[in-house]
Amino acid sequence: MSVAQRLKQVAFLILLSFYTAFVAGPLFWVTTMSLRTTTEIAHNPYALPETFHFEKFYKAWVNSNYNVYFTNSVIIVLSAVAILTLIGGMAGHCFARYRFRFRRFLYFMIFSTIIFPPQITIIALFQILVEYGLYNSRIGLILVYVAFQLPVTVYILESFFARIPSDLYDAARMDGYSEWSIFFKVSLPVALPALSTTVILNTILLWNEFLYAVVLIVDEAKRTLPLGIQQFMGDHLEDVGMIASGLMIAIVPVVIIYVFFSEKLIQGMTAGAVK
Amino acid sequence: MEVDQERSSLFRHQRSLDQPLGSIITFLLPAVTVYLAFTAFPVIRTLFNSFHRVLPGKAALFIGWDNYISVFVKDDIFLRAVKNTITWACLSPVLEVSLALLLALALYAKIPGARFFRIAWFTPVLMSYVVVGIIWIWIYNYDWGAVNVLLRGLGLAEWVKAWLGNPKTALWSLIFVTTWMWTGFNMVVLLAALHSLPSEVLEAGELDNCGWFKKLWFIVIPMVRPTILNLLVLSFVGKMKVFDLVWITTKGGPLWATETVATYVYKRAFEWSTFDLGYASTVASIWFVIILSGVLLLTWLFRQREKLEY
Repeated sequence: MSVAQRLKQVAFLILLSFYTAFVAGPLFWVTTMSLRTTTEIAHNPYALPETFHFEKFYKAWVNSNYNVYFTNSVIIVLSAVAILTLIGGMAGHCFARYRFRFRRFLYFMIFSTIIFPPQITIIALFQILVEYGLYNSRIGLILVYVAFQLPVTVYILESFFARIPSDLYDAARMDGYSEWSIFFKVSLPVALPALSTTVILNTILLWNEFLYAVVLIVDEAKRTLPLGIQQFMGDHLEDVGMIASGLMIAIVPVVIIYVFFSEKLIQGMTAGAVK
Repeated sequence: MEVDQERSSLFRHQRSLDQPLGSIITFLLPAVTVYLAFTAFPVIRTLFNSFHRVLPGKAALFIGWDNYISVFVKDDIFLRAVKNTITWACLSPVLEVSLALLLALALYAKIPGARFFRIAWFTPVLMSYVVVGIIWIWIYNYDWGAVNVLLRGLGLAEWVKAWLGNPKTALWSLIFVTTWMWTGFNMVVLLAALHSLPSEVLEAGELDNCGWFKKLWFIVIPMVRPTILNLLVLSFVGKMKVFDLVWITTKGGPLWATETVATYVYKRAFEWSTFDLGYASTVASIWFVIILSGVLLLTWLFRQREKLEY
């Protein structure tokens, strides 16, 4: 490598490091604040923690209801993701495997909702859930979440199922497999990479979801984390330290998933954008 | 005749194996039910609402185009919200994608630690808008926010302001936040596109001693064009829907400076005690049609036959 190239590389490296600091700085900052008390932060917002106040997390968890919000989020997200994986997988398998009338039409109808703004459904969803007694219930929110993430899930899975060679299915059929056992014993195991992509993607997106939750949930006891955080922020505007601890409770699970499955997650988020 | 019949029954048997209608229906039924109940029906009902006065506990009252006329003729806040949202949706894609392209090219030049950079840049999009919003409320804080601390430190104290509290700067400050959040995402996608290009082409440009800008303009951009266009549309649609960030940080204020159509729909439907869901549905329907036409127009402009995501 020539000197000029080397210099260019160093210049780029500096530029990219600056950008990385700009991106990661705010997240690092909120991490330090989550371990410091509000008094310490008021004294100097940009100092590093001297003693790590881990007890703040315990306080948020127990005294500020974060245990309730966290549990709600876990229940709602996991149920929605489980349902999504199963029914999205079934639909994706069906669209990829069989040729039937209205196939393209149905697929297009489901797929096109990807660009719909949530506002076009939210008002009527509110009415419908009220009428069927599902308003302000976890089940209602789970069903809405399933509908919300269905297009992406079907899209990712369908395109994966479509690439499975049909010889595999023919062989299974020769062996006398029924359509259902083909789905469970051939399609799903082979599509495990795509399934895990959708599971991780849906988990993160629903974990962070705010609009549907804020419209469809009112009870304190049923709030998800984003709602709980917003409420806490409204009630304790000045308590920066505690708010930061609350934020960390929402961030940590995402970071853990990201540490283990970063490539999967990037794949899922960018699915379709690379063409 | 007999043979014919036999063949046709055989053929029918074959067909039923290829297209087992019963299985197809059971495979699709759950997804289609959820889709019809929680997507298709609500969309139709919102469109229906938009021509009615919908008050709680009362049957919807048909009022024709009244809501539509009020929205376009009398509603200054709606027009303000449209202006803000369109500004956001047109500016953001350009900012995000051009910045992302430059950074992706820098990273493409075989920089050590590329994997680390990619993973770090992607983090903001994984955060909830609630989290991002609160962090940036603090960063823009007048007294101790990072922006003002930095400005004071640089001796630019006269530039110090309440970034989100000032109607002149609030919208730009929020656009800055979405750019912070989404540039990394765009960059990772562009980087993947660059890596899938045949390296000979770029090397040929190198040999011909093309200038840096020429290489970018005549070789790189045309080759990753489909990806760039997809990202532009994606970002456009995302900003046309923006709600969470505004709701957490400014709730559309100050003085409607950051009101978006999404927050306005929410306010009309659930915050202002007008109790009329019809009017909010009208705004949502109009916006729905505008987004669809915007996407169609963009795809038509780009003559891009591929499917769009999100």
